[in-house]
Amino acid sequence: MDSSLLALFQLCDSNFPSGGFSHSFGLETFIQRNRVHNRDTFSQWLSLFLKEQMVSSDGLAIKLIYQALEENDLDEVWRIDRLLTIQNMSRETREGTRFMGRSLVKIAGTIYDSELINLYSKRIKEKDSFGHPAVLFVLAGYHLKISRDTTMLYYLYSTIVNLVQNGVRAIPMGQTDGQRIISDFQPILKDAVEAVNRLEKTDFGTVAPGIEMAQMQHEYVNVRIFMS
Amino acid sequence: MNLTSAKWTGFLNMEIENREGKSIPKSIYYYNALKVQRPIYHGKSGMPCYYLLNVGGGYMDGDTYRIEIRVREKAKLMLTTLGATLIYKTPNKPVTQESEIFLEKDSYFVYLPDPIIGYKNARYKQVDTIHMEKGATLLYSDILTPGWSAEGSSFSYDKLQLNTNIYLEGELVVYDNIKLEPAVQQINALGFMDDYTHIGTFIVIGDKTDDDLIKRLHEVIHEQPGEFEAGISLLSTPGFTIRILAKLTQDIVRIISACHKLVSEEWFDETPSFLRKY
Repeated sequence: MDSSLLALFQLCDSNFPSGGFSHSFGLETFIQRNRVHNRDTFSQWLSLFLKEQMVSSDGLAIKLIYQALEENDLDEVWRIDRLLTIQNMSRETREGTRFMGRSLVKIAGTIYDSELINLYSKRIKEKDSFGHPAVLFVLAGYHLKISRDTTMLYYLYSTIVNLVQNGVRAIPMGQTDGQRIISDFQPILKDAVEAVNRLEKTDFGTVAPGIEMAQMQHEYVNVRIFMS
Repeated sequence: MNLTSAKWTGFLNMEIENREGKSIPKSIYYYNALKVQRPIYHGKSGMPCYYLLNVGGGYMDGDTYRIEIRVREKAKLMLTTLGATLIYKTPNKPVTQESEIFLEKDSYFVYLPDPIIGYKNARYKQVDTIHMEKGATLLYSDILTPGWSAEGSSFSYDKLQLNTNIYLEGELVVYDNIKLEPAVQQINALGFMDDYTHIGTFIVIGDKTDDDLIKRLHEVIHEQPGEFEAGISLLSTPGFTIRILAKLTQDIVRIISACHKLVSEEWFDETPSFLRKY
């Protein structure tokens, strides 16, 4: 196996301390209302979250940033960092994502020898950039010379794995159910990458209203084990 | 005479200025299918309320609209519509509408249009760009609803897209992109629209936004009758977004009106009048 691929795997590892453990991205709102309560209903939510939020935001951002990096257009990279952050109408999800982005940047700065990641880290410290996991991930993938689609696929995969683990804890579901979902999602993840590649800039940030609603309403959910 | 206006199906340009505490039009120009009526001044606010109307009765295949508004320093403007924006089938080309709005220092702009109704096979794309200077206040809303269809299906339009970009002192602070494309999306799936058909948005930007206001707005929203889901959350700039899913336009309008009233009383010590439509 390619050593650079292994280096990107490290970022996808569920033990990587990204802070994703604390964020449900609105899933908890559905759980509290008993709308998500088993493997089947969780899979429905996860599928919609992937297709109708991740594809047009994080996925499309990875595609656009990768292109910008190939054209050496750093202003576009920083513009998308801002766009990714502000397009999120839920304060908790926005701040949670920002927190995760900062954690990832901090650790990535010590494990990858990348000028761009160091620059991103500096911009975050100086409040010129917000910090977002998708931006860090594509900076790492590009640095490791991993292709755009593979970078995107691994990013989406790591997001799904993290949410399945949170689902297993919160619904709760059995670990076997969790692993079955991850396995079932393999073709769906590939479709998601293709879906991103069909999108244009004007499609950026279109979110399924119900997914976003649950993220906005999470602030008022009474019993919470997640921060978003 | 604006030389570029002739290429649009409808065009409106208006500029409002503050003259001794009263906001008055510095210039108003409209062309073809868009028109505004004479303004109404409610109470002593000095704020004109203009009613925008579509002369043709509805938006047809390939129609293009452009709205340009400038609210000058310390001026106020309220803009609404006389009725819903009806989008009919667009077999060849989608209907597009773009608005460019400039809110100068300490100005105040309220935009409360009636809903956009997408009929069978309608495609509509709206792009609104708002540039704000320091101290300006913005209250901005939109409502998207499906039109009646012979088959009784709620989502017979092809595509409705609303893209809103708000800049504060030149920096993008709000980006909203709603796209409903029923044939392509799993619109009836868990978490898409749930059982709802109508979506409303109320975006408010103002320096006086604080946690207490959000808390009170949250209470006001949930005191309203009707069947709906609503969320309110702070933006990354002083301001907030309210999103509403409902089955009836009036349930969304009631919530937006109640929140408009609270913000107006808190920030401007003014109680807005009921917007009379004919």
